[in-house]
Amino acid sequence: MRRHILYIVYCILFITIVGCQPKAELPSQFAESNTEAEIYPDYKDVVVPPNIAPLNFICRDSVATAYVAQLKGKSQQLLAAAAEDGVIRMDSTEWRNLLTTSKGGEISVDIYGKRPDGWVHFKPYKFSVAEEPIDAFISYRLIEPGYELYRQLGIYQRNLTTFDEKPIYENNREYNDGENHCINCHNYRMGSTESMLFHVRANHGGTIIVQDGKAHKVQLKDSTIITSGVYPSWHPTENLVAFSTNKTGQAFHVYYPEKLEVMDEKSDLLLYDVTKNEVSHIFRTADDMETFPCWSPDGRTLYYCTAKRNYLLDMSLPDSLVTQQLLMKFDSVRYNLMSIPFDPKTRSFGQPQMEVDAVSEGQSISVPRVSPDGRYILYTLGDYGQFHIWHKSSDLWVKDLQTGECYPLTEANSPDVDSFHSWSSNSRWFAFSSRRMDENYTRLFIAYFDKDGKAHKPFVIPQEDPEWNILLLKSYNVPELSRDAVSISMQDLHHCIYETEGENAVYKPNPTAIVNLDGTTGASPKKPVDGTSGASPKKP
Amino acid sequence: MSKKSSQPSRKAAPQTQAAAPSKQRKSLLPVLPIFFVLTWIWAAWYYGSVFYISREYSFWVADLRMMDFVLSCPYGGVRYLGRAMLQLYKYPWLGGLLLAMMLTVGSWLTGYCMRLKASWRAVQYVPALLYMAIVTWHGLDIFFEARTGLIFGIPFVALDVLCLWALIIRSFSRKPAPAFIGIPKDETPRQNGLQLVVIVVATAAIIGFDMLQRPYVRVICRLLDMEYRQDWAGIQKLARANAMMSNRPMACSYAIALVQTGQIGERLYDIRLDYDSLHLHGMDWQHNNASSLYVPEGNYYGGFIEPSQHACMEQMVMTGPTIRLLKLSIKCALMREEWELAEKYLTVLRRVPFEGAFCKKYGAMVRHIDLVNSDKEMALIRLTEPIHDCFESQFQQPLFMGYNLVLVEGRSQQALINSLSVCLYTKLMPQFVERLEPLAGSTPPSIIMDGIMLAENKNPGISQHFSGLNFRQPQLQSFLHATQPYMKDRPGHAYELFPKYKGYYPYYYFFGNLKATKKGYTSLSSSNSGVN
Repeated sequence: MRRHILYIVYCILFITIVGCQPKAELPSQFAESNTEAEIYPDYKDVVVPPNIAPLNFICRDSVATAYVAQLKGKSQQLLAAAAEDGVIRMDSTEWRNLLTTSKGGEISVDIYGKRPDGWVHFKPYKFSVAEEPIDAFISYRLIEPGYELYRQLGIYQRNLTTFDEKPIYENNREYNDGENHCINCHNYRMGSTESMLFHVRANHGGTIIVQDGKAHKVQLKDSTIITSGVYPSWHPTENLVAFSTNKTGQAFHVYYPEKLEVMDEKSDLLLYDVTKNEVSHIFRTADDMETFPCWSPDGRTLYYCTAKRNYLLDMSLPDSLVTQQLLMKFDSVRYNLMSIPFDPKTRSFGQPQMEVDAVSEGQSISVPRVSPDGRYILYTLGDYGQFHIWHKSSDLWVKDLQTGECYPLTEANSPDVDSFHSWSSNSRWFAFSSRRMDENYTRLFIAYFDKDGKAHKPFVIPQEDPEWNILLLKSYNVPELSRDAVSISMQDLHHCIYETEGENAVYKPNPTAIVNLDGTTGASPKKPVDGTSGASPKKP
Repeated sequence: MSKKSSQPSRKAAPQTQAAAPSKQRKSLLPVLPIFFVLTWIWAAWYYGSVFYISREYSFWVADLRMMDFVLSCPYGGVRYLGRAMLQLYKYPWLGGLLLAMMLTVGSWLTGYCMRLKASWRAVQYVPALLYMAIVTWHGLDIFFEARTGLIFGIPFVALDVLCLWALIIRSFSRKPAPAFIGIPKDETPRQNGLQLVVIVVATAAIIGFDMLQRPYVRVICRLLDMEYRQDWAGIQKLARANAMMSNRPMACSYAIALVQTGQIGERLYDIRLDYDSLHLHGMDWQHNNASSLYVPEGNYYGGFIEPSQHACMEQMVMTGPTIRLLKLSIKCALMREEWELAEKYLTVLRRVPFEGAFCKKYGAMVRHIDLVNSDKEMALIRLTEPIHDCFESQFQQPLFMGYNLVLVEGRSQQALINSLSVCLYTKLMPQFVERLEPLAGSTPPSIIMDGIMLAENKNPGISQHFSGLNFRQPQLQSFLHATQPYMKDRPGHAYELFPKYKGYYPYYYFFGNLKATKKGYTSLSSSNSGVN
């Protein structure tokens, strides 16, 4: 008897679920519309990797009560339907088949909307499927776009080929004065999660380094180090990490298009030997602020950004007013892109070279990232400062390291913030964060970067529920692509963070470090060492 | 004869005895229904405004992904359900009805599960009364600490446990439950009376405690409610009716209402501004100035849209989204013409039950700057927006006061009056005098006139530039003469003098807000301490 009741319940549930699903069937009669359907997110004319998850979207029409979408590739097609909410969800298997058979080609999308006077067929649009796949995983921090306080935050990993998202680490969920901590700056070595790190701030603070599936905590502190390690870059071959160490402050505008300004008062670069647990300076300079280190794929060059600050200061005023002074001139602090040679065998550095002289153009550079094939360096260019994630002027630019040419990635950029970026390991894709959707909450976009060094129109990472990009009240922060998934469990990370104090790194001066503590002369040359490397950004 | 006559009377005796309990039973009162009515009155009409504001300081949507910030906390499911039920407090009578039913049924089940005899039945009301007492004791903390899910969550869980317990008892013992609506058969008048006394006295004690120890809780919540409904006249009436009560949220609501009705220069000192301490804890369980209750709104109505948005965001970080913060963020986004952001917040708010009217009103403004600028409230705020940019950290907090102390340029007469009012409030007379020039030749608002009279001492002849001041001189002289004996111990006499000089600025200047006077002000500070 009970079994019968269960069967009946299952049947009712099945009928209800199936009955609620809109039927994916092309209308037999329809009128042609001379406009394209309005869809969210904008997936029109984009280039997508063949291994991306279904690009579910929402059709928006003020009067339509049902929709059908037909996606046609070379030899396959896919039908999906939506009810009045307009949410088109595609079957993942059919989607996969469609993309696989359309590699290197285009997919056209025909949308039909059921209006009170009958079905209409909107003008179709297309998107392309590239030959090359994107790294399957992307990690990011989810945090509200406010920078004074923090509460619940975590680092998450999304499988781009599906909709699976799992937390790598989440801080304490409920407020606790003795437990509250922030986590930031997660980073992998050359797109592989075998070597990973991130920082923990406030309670349980330290830098968490994960190698061989094991996590340990280190304290990168010394009286000569400004704060501790901040922006990291793993050396591609040696067990080394270059860090910046920054004294960072922030201030909130009262009446300005941009909401806040994050500024460094000073910064240096560090080299940390993971195996020996030794830390040394690469730069220790009073006038120059070096930040955002990034190794070249061969590990023989370290790229970084640097700005001069003393010329902005009235040196007769006390040090305690440096922050205030810099704040008053926040839009005059500008960074160039530099490089410094490195010999992995001797662990010695050469002389700095100018890579992009942005300052002379009244511009400022941050977050350089070299493509894994070593050909391009992708960076963010804005009008001033280094925290371009809050600068509407920020755009993505590349420098072709073969030709020395610098140019904007016009197709990928938007009028709003386009900043923090990460390369796929085949150098054909990059992910970046942008505030283009609502000017406030960063969302992750993926752009195709072709063999000619041209970026194509990007698309926001697909969600199972496309409205999630609107409903989520957190920003995607620090996107990092990786080929593989993080294997260490959250419990192990929790144990490492909560139960260990962290080993103090040993400070060992590097004889080739550039040290200039009097601030009278800058360590970075004002002019390029050779003609090709000192390129200037060209206005688009 | 006596035997004969006595026999029938003996026989009649049982009849008389049977009739007596019947009469007695008629005189018994149904305690549970009375308790229900009492708790409903308490939950809907007496304390309803507090629960209503708790709902505004809460957030609930059916979408579990959006509620992860609650669900991932300890007992997240309970909090989630509790927040869902709190939504009914959009209409306090409805929310109160549910709460009263839960407390009443819970009491009934307590009696049943504990197998209380009629003589001990009053005990069954103790958990519900204890709940009411704890809620009252917490006061503003019930929503200030962002644990709004527990208001309904705890009684809901308790009720579930009791239901389960009762089911088990019923399954095994078949013990009948006492009457719910009527009068239990086993109760005597004395037992019935005892129960009535317990519930009435306990409820009265809870209300008494609230009136004596937390008198500001309901007043603040009613003020906030009126602020959200833009009932500026109601705020003024309520604040003046409680003029002796003094706390910052109330002062801010009152000042906002005065600004919105153009009376900030006339009526600010009708209420006491000495700020008694509140029973209030932040998320860190440290006393604070309750600044999060009023800073976002204070900034918004002071013309500081961006700082208001910032304050909303910081609070959203700490507490998760709330209805109140979402609504204010929508208004800020509209004023900043951040249409997509406004639409985003509206999309979220549309998923919250009962918020259709707000979404309809402000949703119509998206991408229609003309509608934004023609909105009465927003148009007035536009008049006081800053002219130049600077950073929040350059001013004392809260910004809507700190900024007005420093900058001397505004875009309207309203901005000037606001700035002068802040200078007078903070008793910074040099800054006040610096800003007077645009009013020369006019008859300023009464408080400004009194300020000018006080500034005359150090700025001889200044009052000659304004008209209407002559008749105020005798009043000032009279005040100074009358209060001379109290000048040596101003803090000691401030309270007793207030009723006599209510609304009169010189009283405030000499006797009001003395902590602020003692502390003094600087024009530039990076400190986070609030302006008193």
